[in-house]
Amino acid sequence: MPAIPVTALLLVAFPALGALIVLLLPRDASRSWVSVGVSAVQVGLAIQLFRAVHGAGHALAWSAPSWAYWGLEASFRIDHFAAFVLTAAAGFSILVSLYGVAFFAGRNDTRSFWAGLLASLALSSGAMMADNLIFLLFFWEGLLGTLFWMIWAGGPDAWKTAVKALVLVGLSDLCLMGGIALVAVSEGGSSLSLSTIGASGGLALDATGGLAFVLLMIGATSKAGSLPFHTWIPDAAVDAPLPFMAFLPAAIEKLLGIYLLARIALELFALRPDTWASHLLMVLGAATILIAVAMALVQRDYKRLLSYHAISQVGYMILGVGTAVPAGIVGGLFHMINHAMYKSCLFLTGGAVERQAGTTDLARLGGIGRAMPVTFVSFIVAACAISGVPPFNGFFSKELVYDGALERHWIYYAAALLGSVLTAASFLKLGHAAFLGKPAAGTRTPKEVPWSMWVPMLVLVAGCILFGVYNPLPLRGLIQPILADQLAGHDFAGLPHSWLLVALTCIALALALANHLWGARRSGSGLHAVDHIHHAPGLSQVYAMAERRVFDPYDQGLVVVRGFSLVSFWFDRGIDWIYDVVSVRVAHGIGRGLRALHDGSYSLYVAWSLAGVIVVALIVALS
Amino acid sequence: MTLELVLLVLLVVAAVWTVLARGLVGAAIGLAVTSVVLSVLLFQMHAPWAAVFELSVCAGLITVVFVSAVALTRAESPQELARATERRWRRYVALPILLVVVAVALAYLGVPEIPPSRPMGEPGVGETLWRLRPTDVLGQVLILFTGVLGVVVLFKERGNDAR
Amino acid sequence: MASLFVFVPLLALLLLHLPVARTFFRRISPYVVGLLLTLQAIVAIVPPGALEDPKAQPWFLPVDISYDGLTRVLLLTIGFVGLSALVVARSTLSAPKARLDFESLLLASLAAMNGVVLVQDLFSLWLFIEALGVGSFVLVASRKEPGGLEGAFKYLLLSAVASVLMLAGVALLLMAAGNTTFAAIRAAVEAGGMFPAGLATILFLAGLFVKGGVVPFHGWLPDAYTEAPPAVSVLLAGIVTKVGGLYTLIRLASECFRGVPGLDTLLLVLGTASIFTGALAALPQKDMKRMLAWSSVSQVGYIVVALGAATPLGLAGAVFHLFNHAIFKTQLFVNAAAVEAATGTRDMDRMGGLSHRMPWTSGTSVVALFSTAGIPPLAGFWSKLIILIALWQAGHEGWAAAAILGSLVTLAYFLSLQRRVFFGKLAENMESVREAGRGLVVPAVLLAAATICVGVFFFFILETFILPVQNILG
Repeated sequence: MPAIPVTALLLVAFPALGALIVLLLPRDASRSWVSVGVSAVQVGLAIQLFRAVHGAGHALAWSAPSWAYWGLEASFRIDHFAAFVLTAAAGFSILVSLYGVAFFAGRNDTRSFWAGLLASLALSSGAMMADNLIFLLFFWEGLLGTLFWMIWAGGPDAWKTAVKALVLVGLSDLCLMGGIALVAVSEGGSSLSLSTIGASGGLALDATGGLAFVLLMIGATSKAGSLPFHTWIPDAAVDAPLPFMAFLPAAIEKLLGIYLLARIALELFALRPDTWASHLLMVLGAATILIAVAMALVQRDYKRLLSYHAISQVGYMILGVGTAVPAGIVGGLFHMINHAMYKSCLFLTGGAVERQAGTTDLARLGGIGRAMPVTFVSFIVAACAISGVPPFNGFFSKELVYDGALERHWIYYAAALLGSVLTAASFLKLGHAAFLGKPAAGTRTPKEVPWSMWVPMLVLVAGCILFGVYNPLPLRGLIQPILADQLAGHDFAGLPHSWLLVALTCIALALALANHLWGARRSGSGLHAVDHIHHAPGLSQVYAMAERRVFDPYDQGLVVVRGFSLVSFWFDRGIDWIYDVVSVRVAHGIGRGLRALHDGSYSLYVAWSLAGVIVVALIVALS
Repeated sequence: MTLELVLLVLLVVAAVWTVLARGLVGAAIGLAVTSVVLSVLLFQMHAPWAAVFELSVCAGLITVVFVSAVALTRAESPQELARATERRWRRYVALPILLVVVAVALAYLGVPEIPPSRPMGEPGVGETLWRLRPTDVLGQVLILFTGVLGVVVLFKERGNDAR
Repeated sequence: MASLFVFVPLLALLLLHLPVARTFFRRISPYVVGLLLTLQAIVAIVPPGALEDPKAQPWFLPVDISYDGLTRVLLLTIGFVGLSALVVARSTLSAPKARLDFESLLLASLAAMNGVVLVQDLFSLWLFIEALGVGSFVLVASRKEPGGLEGAFKYLLLSAVASVLMLAGVALLLMAAGNTTFAAIRAAVEAGGMFPAGLATILFLAGLFVKGGVVPFHGWLPDAYTEAPPAVSVLLAGIVTKVGGLYTLIRLASECFRGVPGLDTLLLVLGTASIFTGALAALPQKDMKRMLAWSSVSQVGYIVVALGAATPLGLAGAVFHLFNHAIFKTQLFVNAAAVEAATGTRDMDRMGGLSHRMPWTSGTSVVALFSTAGIPPLAGFWSKLIILIALWQAGHEGWAAAAILGSLVTLAYFLSLQRRVFFGKLAENMESVREAGRGLVVPAVLLAAATICVGVFFFFILETFILPVQNILG
């Protein structure tokens, strides 16, 4: 493989430098513009790189001069896929930065946010380019650090959420680490390079390899936000600054997580449809779709509702990649980029609403669509995209995922379709409650947001439309070249192949609409349109348990940890006593004894020396 | 032979006196006498090399430093003197024990046969030294110079104190 | 040409005391001494191949010397520590006479130390050790207080014992080998026999243990280190005992005495005894310098234990730790001198909270303490790690565990030092304390930087300096 240009190294170095500059800058306003500038340059670099990869027609590689002592091979490799996600990440960075200029205007505590944003950009670029798994882990763990840092900087109440995110993401990173170790075991320690292993036909799914796959999969999908390590995301949505949500959980982490999942599944293990691993991925995907969307349905907060969708949509991507058939994989990856676009856009509308109306509580919102038309339009397009309404981008990627799922088993298709119905229902509820109806008493009348906030939204809206109406552009230009070998001549661009599936989708959407209209009429408000599902016999108890966080592994873990810590507390006390009291007394006793033996008498010291001679003589003589 | 016996006796007497002397000055003089006697003895026994080393290192140097140290100490007060006299013998308790241990050790190991010494060639001592052991000469110059320097430094300190 | 390392300081010393041009020579003497030390360090760093044949003998000086990796490390260390002592002396000694005396004795000690590390003959070695002993005795005694004299006397007394033991050893070895060169002695010791070679070795080793302050031969060390003037403490603790006792032990244990039965066990036992006695005795000390002195006993134990592993790696670990210990212990004594100069006391119970008043001293002392306790990535961590690995590879797992335990006690007493002196609330009567001047801060900062650099560029240092040392095993 030919060497990659210096540009690639700049993709890591430049934002890292930007983060340092931001840390050192004295004023908050300048920070945001520095971030915009750095992101803009990053976009330029990434596009240049993309063109270089495209022109070369194959992957480019770079390896640091070998660091013999550490045995670490610091190697980068950039293929079409990596160049594409790199460009996308840089693009989201510039949009969120621009949005943040106005969003954070007048605040003076944004140093951490901006530095964290640029540091995350640098680290994620590194992770996307890394070829060696250990090297990848380095960037991956760095991202854990910036994640913690950015949530923590969100405000006084964010501390607990930050710790929760750190624990959950850290746990999944630990799984990733274990998986890498197992890959090393099963490779015999010869190479930990993704491309080398991939070129040699991938790892077998035997006992070691299988466990490695599961652990790596947990690491990758958890980064993307799938079950069961997802529960920090809704909490972060409330506590962390909104641009953080639009940037990390909605865009960058999806790109990273699904990118790595695809790398692992398709390259490292060369996943085939007839394996248990494929089924495992699909089950995980389907479960993530359904459970998260069911939770989203009953949320009463704009941002929390969105955050559950950020989890739910990951399910489609995992399901798509897990099908291991061309249509599904293309659909999953296409959904990844589509999701990043519409979900970022949705979070940005959430931020706009929060900034202008002063709240994101759906019970207190209402009727702001007229006052904020740009935001409303953006919301409508993005919501249609996420619900899979033709002709927006989400429709096409979902159709591909359906296609792939149906090819494996109808049950996966059914789950995905049900998820779509509920998604549509929850967005009907959200839009109705927030933008239509009447405002609650006592809320201020909002105005449209400034240009620097609506431009990013409109750019994303344009993207959603473009990627839908003219889908050959993303599919032929971005997605399908990634899978050139596996596609075997398939081309998924253009209109969906199966009209039956399209019809079923339309019926499902119509069902969602009907349900909403019926529910809204029955309860008299958009907010309560899905109450009949919420309070349905059987479901209401489950929801109540979910509200009490019975299903949250972090909170359940805390209970176990608390019990465990109580036990270890007393154990620890005993050990402490040995250390603090016994050992100190013994040490000081010996020390005092030694001091008494050193009374400064010459003759005593000489006698000691002579005794020492005898000891020396005895040891030499006896051996 | 008689001369050697006399010298040996003198050596032991001087050595014991050195150890038992009450004042440090006495001990230092005793050590010097011991060294000189030993040196003469070595010359007498046709070991000029050893004699030169003994004389220069032991008598020349350690005594110099010892005397200078003595010059720096102050006299004992009567109480200290009395206490020291009282304790005087106690510090030698270990000596017989050590002798016994060495004796036992030698008995256990068997007193070995000492190889006969090799007589040196007869050219002048100085010439032999320079030809065979130039490094040692460098070392000895250094020792002597340091010793003299030490005496100068320490005596100067004493002069400052007196003033 | 390496014999010039001995000859040039000696010449400088003579010139300094000639009755001609006295004022001129005395004015330039500190600069000359400093230049000599710097040159020595630079020459030691330069790879030997880049020099004229270092073993060549100038016509006026037909001296037979060795110049190998071990010698180079020691010459470098001597240069570093000597420079620090010189700078400290400039700022702690006020009288010009006292400074001149110190510089003269430093030159004499320098010549003696260089002689020790260069010679290849046991008797010459003994002579240079004696010369070093005389010089350092006068240095310790040069303080007028009774405490200094007491320390000097103890030093002298035990040194005399050591000299006698070593001289007896040399005599017996001369008898056995017919010569006193290292090669001849090695052959004689390997030929074996309890008498006279075995006995001679015992006596000589005992002498070296006294010189190096290994338990139970260490009685003189705390007093001498504690009571000496600050600059002398730096010199003594930093390099004199290292060269006089430990370098010699390393050289002889690996070149001459390999064939002695039980040598490894002996070194392991005494080394571990030193580690624990030193560390435990340091724990209850109130006097800052005394605690440092006991810590030296403990660290010396690590060097001895490393030799006990009897492997090339153990040798490398011993030399590396010797180097590191020289650097950080020198620095700690410089810090102690700074604290003493600033507060007028060494009693740690009367200090506290000095970190705000003396930030440089406090900061550098943390570096040295952590290095001593073996906290990564500082220099001391790597040398201890090498020692542990060497012990482990040699099958001495138990001794390795003991060494780790000793390290924990080290951390304990040094944390206690740091807490009592620098952290916490400012003690009474300490409000007006300030840094003790550049002369005591700059060396400390440079030495701390050296500790950090050696730690960070560990692999480079290991490759260029430490591993070549193993060549002396042949």
